[in-house]
Amino acid sequence: MSVYNSNQNPYLSSNNTSDVQSFMAIPLLICDDSSMSRKMVNRSLPKDWDVEVTFAKNGVEGLEAIRKGQGEMVFLDLTMPELDGYGVLESIKQEGLKCVVIVISADIQPEAREKCIKLGALEFIKKPIDTEKLTQVLKEYGLY
Amino acid sequence: MTTLELTEDQRDCLQELSNIAMGQAGDSLARFLEVFVHLSVPKIQIVQTSQVSSSLKNISEPGLPVIVVGQSFYNAQGQKSLHGEAIVIYSESGADTLSNFLGDDESKPETDESLMDISNILISVCLNGLAEQLDTRLSFSAPTMIGKGISCNDVFNSGKLSWDNALLIEINYTFESTEMSCNLVLIMPDESVEGIIAKVNEILDEF
Repeated sequence: MSVYNSNQNPYLSSNNTSDVQSFMAIPLLICDDSSMSRKMVNRSLPKDWDVEVTFAKNGVEGLEAIRKGQGEMVFLDLTMPELDGYGVLESIKQEGLKCVVIVISADIQPEAREKCIKLGALEFIKKPIDTEKLTQVLKEYGLY
Repeated sequence: MTTLELTEDQRDCLQELSNIAMGQAGDSLARFLEVFVHLSVPKIQIVQTSQVSSSLKNISEPGLPVIVVGQSFYNAQGQKSLHGEAIVIYSESGADTLSNFLGDDESKPETDESLMDISNILISVCLNGLAEQLDTRLSFSAPTMIGKGISCNDVFNSGKLSWDNALLIEINYTFESTEMSCNLVLIMPDESVEGIIAKVNEILDEF
């Protein structure tokens, strides 16, 4: 059961004081080197979720998008060229970037999940992505 | 000679399917050795058989001696799709390190035995993961020690590979807190690739 509704959740709206802002689409970034995987994640999003989606195909592009405010919410792959998901999480932490990160990865080692959570990721979802699981996680954290 | 080529979408799709299979094999290996395994992006390419050796990117130093374990895989449903050779390449200097994960000086197994076990896990889990996503099933030969202290050229230039083109999938596993890594290389001949591409096209059509 969701504790917070989408306008009150502590992850995305902590600085939201304006009602107008609360109704704006959430800037969502999907960062994955695979075009197929980016499409799969995009297709797995709840249909009525009000998001504005940006795509990035490696960690460097992903970080740039987050810095530009295009990733208040981020779905992040781990194994990527240029800069991997761990590197992105480290930079987000170092630069104090405000975003909620859910890692979506094929690296299903329990330690990979632990590393991500330690680096500040909110949750870890295994690939291949399960639409119901994604919706369940989003509801659980009051993100949708 | 037929010329096989992959479109960018087909290569991307195969890379993502390999990525998922690689992750499953990495997890099994990590549990077996009780060590975290770093994964990197799988490399997918179509090469002429004569170029297989020079196409492998992740082998640490081309001239250094390696230990190679191999296993053949077949389509258990009798289809031509998805059959070929799987090999795991270890640097000779790092092979002992892997055995050390499996026990102390008194109880650790022989290096050869460890390498065969590790290779078998990597090959079977990764290929079964790939086969499952391609809606097929595989059977395997027993793993064999192809060579110790040899160079990669010896493996691929021995005239054993009798096809023109091959699909090469190369996956690197690096073991945390060591400089040790190994490469899983899947080599599939022309006729196998045509079946794989047909299945990949079906997957891509869903998007």
